[in-house]
Order: sequence, then C-alpha cells, then structure tokens
Amino acid sequence: MKNIFLGIAIATAGLTACNTQPDNKANDTHQMGDHNMMDSSMNPSGMESDHMGMMENKNMDNVVSSYFNLKNALANDNAKEAATAGTEVATAVQQVDEAGLSPAQKKIYEEVKDDMIEHGKHIADNAGKIAHQREHFETMSKDMYDLVKVFGTNKTMYYTHCPMYNNNKGANWLSEVKEISNPYLGKKMPTCGTVKEEIR
Amino acid sequence: MRTLKLIAGIIVSVLVLIQFFRSHRNISSGVHPASIEHQMPIPAGVQALLKSACYDCHSNNTSYPWYVNIQPVAWFMAHHVDEGRSELNFDEFGSYSKRRQVSKLKSITNSLEDGSMPIASYTWMHDEARLSETNKKSIIAWALQQKDSLEARQ
Repeated sequence: MKNIFLGIAIATAGLTACNTQPDNKANDTHQMGDHNMMDSSMNPSGMESDHMGMMENKNMDNVVSSYFNLKNALANDNAKEAATAGTEVATAVQQVDEAGLSPAQKKIYEEVKDDMIEHGKHIADNAGKIAHQREHFETMSKDMYDLVKVFGTNKTMYYTHCPMYNNNKGANWLSEVKEISNPYLGKKMPTCGTVKEEIR
Repeated sequence: MRTLKLIAGIIVSVLVLIQFFRSHRNISSGVHPASIEHQMPIPAGVQALLKSACYDCHSNNTSYPWYVNIQPVAWFMAHHVDEGRSELNFDEFGSYSKRRQVSKLKSITNSLEDGSMPIASYTWMHDEARLSETNKKSIIAWALQQKDSLEARQ
C-alpha cells in the first residue's frame, strides 16, 4: 500500500513539474480590471480604481495571508498553529471593509463571508483534532478560491489539487508557492498534489 | 465525624437550593418558515430520523424528559441545546447563506460518518436517537444529494 502511495506521490510530483498552466488572467472577468497597483498603473481604465484598489488589497491581503498561515500549519501537522490561524482568518474576513468593494466583489464577499468565518472559528475550536480542521479547511479553500478569482491578486497563486484526500475524492487548496506542500495529508505525503491553475 | 456531617449538610442544602433556579426552555411552537422542510425536499423517513435523533438540540423545539425538572440537569441540558442550536438549527436553515447550507450538509454527513453525532452523552439517555447504520446511510444519502443540488445552483 505504501509503495502505491509513494508511486502516486512521485508521479504527481512529476506531473506538477511539467504542468505549467497558461495565464488565467484572461478568464478574470470582473468589472474593474486588475486591482493590482502596478497593473492598474499600466491600465488606463483602472485609473479610477487606484485608490480603492489599494484598500481592497489591504483587506484581502490579511485574509489571504492568514489563509496561507493556516495552510502551512496544516501542512506541518501543527494543529495548534492551525487553530491560531483559523481565528486570524475569521477576524480578517470579518474586517473586510465592504464600502470599498465593487458590486462583483461585494456579491462574492457576502456569499462566502459567513461560511469562511464559521470555518475559521471551527478550526480554532478544534486544536486537538487536525482531521476535523482539515475538513473545514477543504470547504474554506473553495470559498477562498472564489474570492481570489473575483478580487484578483498582486502575487501569483497556485490552485492545487490533491487526488488522495478524503478516500480519493480529492480536494483543492490555494498556495503562495508552486512547490507542493500538502495541507490535507501533511508530513505523511507532503508532495502529493498537482497545480491545476496559476492565478495572477 | 462532625465535619463529615457538616459537609453532607452543605451538599444537601446546595442541592435543595439550586432546585429553585429555572433554566430557559427551548420551546417555540408555531410555523418556522425558514425550516429545512420548506427549503428542500426531505423524504418522510429521513425527516422522522432527524426529528427523533437531532431535533432536540438542533431545532426550535426540544422535547424534554421528566428529569429536566431537576437541577443541575436542567443547566446541563440548556447549555447543550444552546450549543447545538448555534451550530445547526434545522428550523432556521433557510436563514443561512447558500454556502453555509452546503457546509452544514457536508458537516452532517461528516459527523454521522465519524460518529461524533448524535453525541454520546445524548444517546446514552435517548435510545431513539441511536441511529443504525442503515439509518445513517439514508440521512447521508439525502444530505449529499441536497448538497450537490445546492452546489449546482450556485
């Protein structure tokens, strides 16, 4: 059994290496173009959103960075740190200032808000049960992906898929690095996963 | 000997005294428009299982046993019911955002699968809340189906 797992891990690691996805920016259809400061300075239609873009990014930066803290804690099998990061995610999501959001951003934010806060709190409350934390992290990752797709990002992110989690049903997560470090299987299977999509 | 008597006396009088405290009851009759049966189809069999195994802590109506009249049992129960309702309330299901509904359905299947629900301290006193494997499977099948159809509509 272990050999099969190892085989899968090696195969997926191999796949990851050659699986460079095309730029997905073209798919990003939200109204105001990129919210990235650098991008909007190159993009005349984004001029108006400059100021707002900065605010949004600051809001979202906290959400994204706390999510990554959580992801990394789970990848390191550290349930305690994951619990702390869970609280951070819940707080960051709660603190997003809706006033500065475009209609599309507001829509998705309101859709995921309650759900993400609840997942964050549950992860915080289950410092002793990493398996349960991971269940909540899975759904949270879907929310996070949908948020990032609409809000945009100023750093490249990687939407990564682990085919083995949850009895081979598979699960996804967002990562700030291309190298796989699996938050669902942790140190047991750290490199299991393939990058499905590059988001920039 | 005298101190023993004193301690016993204190314990007894505390037990008597706390009987005068009442805990709030979770009973609200009437229509709950946001309740789950108004949100999605539920087969009668599954609905009956939910009512007998889950609704005491996860709805707006708890059917209390006689010993709820005894303290500190009442406090313990009130706390459990409050906690259960804040996690999941079938009578308020429609007030959750769509994503939260999906998450709740997922959590229902997870907690039945890993046996964390119905909670042991509850099934210990409530035989009717002990779900057989077949019962669990029918609830899980329903929850997954509803979860998929909600996700498809998103």
